[in-house]
Amino acid sequence: MKKSILLFTTLIFAAGSFITERATAQKYMADDGYVEFISTAPLLEFKGVSENLTGLINLDTNMVDFYVDLNTLETGIQRRDRDMRNSYLETDKFPFAEFTGELISEFDPNLQEKQEARVRGMFKIHGVEREIEVTGTLEPDGESLQLEAGWTVLLADYNIDRPGVLFYELAEEQTVNISIQLVKTDN
Amino acid sequence: MKKTQRTLFTLLFLMIFPNLLMAQLERERVVTDQPEELIFMAPRNINLYTVEPLSKGELHYSIMHTFGEVSGGVSELWGIDQGANVRFSFEYGFGDEFSVGFGRSSMDKVYDISSRYSLVRQMQSGGSPVSVTVIPSIGITTGSYGFLNVDYTFSDRLNFNLATPIARKMSDDLSLQIVPMITHFNRVGFELSVADPAVNTYYSVGVGGRYKVAPRTAVTFQYIPPLTDAENLDHNIGIGIDIETGGHVFQMFFTTSRALNESYLVSSNNGDFFDGGYRFGFNINRLFRIK
Repeated sequence: MKKSILLFTTLIFAAGSFITERATAQKYMADDGYVEFISTAPLLEFKGVSENLTGLINLDTNMVDFYVDLNTLETGIQRRDRDMRNSYLETDKFPFAEFTGELISEFDPNLQEKQEARVRGMFKIHGVEREIEVTGTLEPDGESLQLEAGWTVLLADYNIDRPGVLFYELAEEQTVNISIQLVKTDN
Repeated sequence: MKKTQRTLFTLLFLMIFPNLLMAQLERERVVTDQPEELIFMAPRNINLYTVEPLSKGELHYSIMHTFGEVSGGVSELWGIDQGANVRFSFEYGFGDEFSVGFGRSSMDKVYDISSRYSLVRQMQSGGSPVSVTVIPSIGITTGSYGFLNVDYTFSDRLNFNLATPIARKMSDDLSLQIVPMITHFNRVGFELSVADPAVNTYYSVGVGGRYKVAPRTAVTFQYIPPLTDAENLDHNIGIGIDIETGGHVFQMFFTTSRALNESYLVSSNNGDFFDGGYRFGFNINRLFRIK
């Protein structure tokens, strides 16, 4: 009898907290964000672009979670895309570039202006995960949040091998820029 | 009893930390199926055409060489001094499945015009297990045959070839192909570099493959058996290495034949690979984007 009372109480509390959580959830999501990887080598600059960046920011937990299917990256030259997928990123084995971390700067969603935002977390590409810190901007706009951020990635840090002989058309340091409008969601 | 306690504990835990219920986004692939890419590094594997298509708007330039037999030794710099059969070619992708090429080989001063049509693509999902490409070509020999004292017509100078590479990427590293091919020379004779000056039509089923030993380096091989009933025809054997440098593909190999296009690969004579009858050769491939 005692046990069932305890169970009942717990369930009530759990349900209550869940309902409260849903009512105040501050989650923003999108799956059509923009991401670019810019390679600036001495002889050649090019960028790989995708419009399939998927992201989530949860202001209740400060969780920030992003990923992109690297098969959607396009550089404008199909042969280069094929090389990128097969010889460098090995998208068969490692289809995603992903970042999961938390917002570590103060952010006021009610302040309708661009605010600096810092996140820290794990960036993973080519099967290698490293902690990074990124500074960008977050701008509330009605029911959505506009996020802009950029950072650099050293290919060697992620075991992405470049041709070592003869040509240096692919830069060791890649600049990553993202831009995404996240929309408030109840889910 | 223990089970109930554990359940209660979990519920209490979730009550205190309800945010744990909301995990990361589920990773979903946008591209779920696509053709196998880069079954071979270039449109040719050693000398044989491959199923590797050009995309629309891509221009592929290649220059291919084979030198003299290495059995000449150091005084001939292992065949390099004997000069090379050189073939240069341009091929342009009019669509993702269709390209047209033009080439010229110094051996027999042959111009060739070819087209490649990608009939079937091997899919990553396994939809089609192989890629199949159809490659018809016409060759025109332009040597001066005045010494023959015969009326050498334009038609006499023509040869026709059909090759149909059928390839499969067995794994990330291993790709294999078989290439049935048939060639007809309108006119043959001692003036041409064919094995048997009395045989006009040659056929064979070539075999080729590559094995990646590093992300951008592969060892390659080709074998074209002498299936035609003709004199002096021998086994064409080639082994090589492909190096992809981020823009260019270099292919270096040893092969038993000077031949650099389909018509001659199936019809010209070969050295004995196991008796020094092989020669050095290399191809340089470069792809351009023409808007």
